[in-house]
Amino acid sequence: MTDEMAWVHQAQKGDDAAFTNLVEMYQKPVYNLCYRMLGEPETAEDAAQETFLKAYQNLGRYDVERPFATWLLSIAAHHCIDRLRRKRFTSFSIDQDEEGQTELPDSSAPDPETEAVRKQTRERLQGCLQSLDPTDRAAVVMRYWQDCSEVEIAQALKLTVPAVKSRLHRARRALADLWEEKDKKARVRRERKPYGSPAF
Amino acid sequence: MDHRPFEDWLLDNQDLDADESRQLNAHLQVCPSCTALAEVNLALTSVRMAAPAAGFADRFHVRLEARKKVLRRRNFWGFLLLAVSVLSGLVWISWPVLKSLIQSPVDLLATWLSSLLSFWAAFQAMAHAGAVLFRVVPGFVPAYIWTIILFAACGWSLLWVFSLIKFTKFPQGVSR
Repeated sequence: MTDEMAWVHQAQKGDDAAFTNLVEMYQKPVYNLCYRMLGEPETAEDAAQETFLKAYQNLGRYDVERPFATWLLSIAAHHCIDRLRRKRFTSFSIDQDEEGQTELPDSSAPDPETEAVRKQTRERLQGCLQSLDPTDRAAVVMRYWQDCSEVEIAQALKLTVPAVKSRLHRARRALADLWEEKDKKARVRRERKPYGSPAF
Repeated sequence: MDHRPFEDWLLDNQDLDADESRQLNAHLQVCPSCTALAEVNLALTSVRMAAPAAGFADRFHVRLEARKKVLRRRNFWGFLLLAVSVLSGLVWISWPVLKSLIQSPVDLLATWLSSLLSFWAAFQAMAHAGAVLFRVVPGFVPAYIWTIILFAACGWSLLWVFSLIKFTKFPQGVSR
């Protein structure tokens, strides 16, 4: 039996320390999913905490035949989708550092310019993600950030595998369209910049 | 502009041979839409995980304790409310009896005793009548009727036992 399964069994018997181990093990994937879904560090932290609370309260219903990570991410995804449906996040502040206060600058970065370009790419991608349908967004995050298979995504989001494939295609096409649009806007801004005002 | 098959290649993340790669690169030079798709693919495959601020598990522990406290308090008040409601309901239903018990307890006890004796007398009379019938009726019923009744009772019992076994059996693949 793996450590994870041992902790799950102990937690199901009411061992809080074992559940804390599970929290430490999965805090990053759960937080990341919430952050990519909701777009704000504070909201993501709250959603991730709520996800673990829901998992704690429903641990008795967890089917040990299923991977624990998929079950946990499924709770997180549904929680975030519910939040988004209740309150539409219409804007995303790109002034805020993408990783909040938590991620230190990459010391292995070859040069500041490359790091700045990467940061810009991440911010642009995050901005585009916020425009996707919540379920499509969850599918994309689980596929590319969590490295989940299409079967696992289907299980987590209660969809069929063909539906997941179709959603992933649609989402990437939509992301590409938004990406192109942002590219055009950036190009227009760059062209205007030397003169400082569109009047010139 | 015709994006086929380049868009499909990009969306399906297909492995391309040298010739297909050359064709795709040439298309990307002139097609902003497919270029955007390729850039999105690249951005998605090179993403990093966002991490929560340090002390996430500690904050979770604090929140869990607070939630448990709220639940305990809610359970206590819920139980108290239920107990008070049930008690009030019982008092309301039995109020006429309680009222007479408070006003004249001797009368009420005498009435209860008299009712109890009446029930006991009725029960004794019925038992006596049953015993008389039990002695008299078998003489009027022929022996073959008793045999039929016995066989019918046995068949009925067997049917009942088989039904019980069938309906209480767990289907295959379902864990107990």
